[in-house]
Amino acid sequence: MNAAPGIYQGAANVIAALMLLLEFGMLRQALVRDQVRLYAAQSALISVLAVVIAADRDLPDLYAVAALSAALKVFAVPYVLRRLLGAPASEEVPGVAGSHTLSPASAVLVCIGLAAFGFFCFGSFDLHSPQAPALALAIAAAMVFVSFGLMIVRRDVASQAIGFFSLENAVSLAALVLAAGLPLLLETAFLFDLLLAVVVFGMLIRAHHARAESLSTADLSRLRG
Amino acid sequence: MSAAVPIPLIQLLQVLTVALGAPGLMGVIAKVEARLQGRRGPRVLQPYYDLAKLCRKEALAPSGASWFFLAAPPVAVAAYLTIPLLIPVLTTYGLPLGYMGDILGGGFLLSLASFVVAAAALETGSPYAQLGSSRAKTFSAITEPVVLFVVFTVALLTGTDLPYALAATVRSSAGQVIRPAHLLASAALFMVILHETGRIPVETHTGTNEFGMIEEARSFEHSGPYFALLKWGSMLKQFILFTILSDVFVAPWGLASTQRLGAVLLAIVALLAKATAIGVAVAVIDDSFAKLRLFKITEYASAAFLLAVLGVFTLYLGGG
Repeated sequence: MNAAPGIYQGAANVIAALMLLLEFGMLRQALVRDQVRLYAAQSALISVLAVVIAADRDLPDLYAVAALSAALKVFAVPYVLRRLLGAPASEEVPGVAGSHTLSPASAVLVCIGLAAFGFFCFGSFDLHSPQAPALALAIAAAMVFVSFGLMIVRRDVASQAIGFFSLENAVSLAALVLAAGLPLLLETAFLFDLLLAVVVFGMLIRAHHARAESLSTADLSRLRG
Repeated sequence: MSAAVPIPLIQLLQVLTVALGAPGLMGVIAKVEARLQGRRGPRVLQPYYDLAKLCRKEALAPSGASWFFLAAPPVAVAAYLTIPLLIPVLTTYGLPLGYMGDILGGGFLLSLASFVVAAAALETGSPYAQLGSSRAKTFSAITEPVVLFVVFTVALLTGTDLPYALAATVRSSAGQVIRPAHLLASAALFMVILHETGRIPVETHTGTNEFGMIEEARSFEHSGPYFALLKWGSMLKQFILFTILSDVFVAPWGLASTQRLGAVLLAIVALLAKATAIGVAVAVIDDSFAKLRLFKITEYASAAFLLAVLGVFTLYLGGG
């Protein structure tokens, strides 16, 4: 247990761990604009990770992926999300704050359990390859579970959309550490898939907001309005 | 500068550095905090004057309080002064008494000190002192798991639970510093230290509002030299926790690796500098955040717990 991984691998692991912490941050955060900010920070971290891996494994393609992903996920998606939510930055959309089904402390504890499950799943695969840092993969798995947790414990469409987008971040993290040499074209295609998801989610959010005048999903329990 | 300092003297110097440096550290934090708020603030040496003044005052005990009330402050200070024997304060090599106890031993001594102070506060029958000790015990019960998980991380990293071993591991390579487990455990420990030293966001240090008080309220009924001992005790606790954070976790550099006089003196200066640096960070946090409502402290504790647990996960399940 004593041997430490190298600097690059350590840095990649630390960035992955920070992304997981930001995921927990989104879980605790009450206001949607703070969640969007955390999502942007998480996306920025994944670009940093792409740069670190590009420098480590000498893959110039990844610099382009990092720049593209930063442009899209750090700037475009948060901007589109804010526009779609329709409120000026100073005003909070109704229905998001207080949509916790659990208290923040309990939600964190529950999601620690989910994260443990993710860690445990990947830990039992017993991966040992210099190309695939097992820890970053395990963290990605934990992030997937925590973002599902975020979508489950929050009863508002905005948090659920952000949980879905950060799920994509988790998958990107796994893809980045596992298949860093993926062709640029494919990476770009995945990124544009995300943009599509943002637009679809945006339409759903707007439709729901127009009908219920709130972003809460609590009133969706009846079949007829 | 080549004169060798005898080992017992180094051991004594560890205790003396902590004992004499602690009030100065408190003074520095108060000064920096005041400066950040645009005030001139008290002198850096003010805590020493305060302690000296209190020592000249008369000591009173509430009627009905037993001998325990007066015995608690000296016991607490004795416990705090034993801890510097167990942790790396000045040297990288373990001193003879350093192996009396491991990291848990140090934790037990800290808990013992806090327990006797809380029990003495219960002796008084004063509502605020009792409220303080009840709150202090409640919240230390929810931060205790964090400390345990930090200890587990140390144990998984080094295979022992000796503070000297962790400091040596951290010094051994840059890869050990940048490990997620190490960084997460250090951050969790820092959050616990903010809680244990009664700083924002858990408790205001300078406030006079009893309802928000946790640790500060416990010493309400003590007076004179006994009150001085309690105040000195909380300063010692702060200095010890900062020493553990810097010399074991974050920056175990600058410690003396030989017995040479120059190296030991340098280690004293380095320790004071590191503690001051942490103190400045704490003062900045004090000035930039608001105090949490009492029932929000569980959220703070859950965040610290998250960091500590993830530290263990990354090592134990993730293999990093």
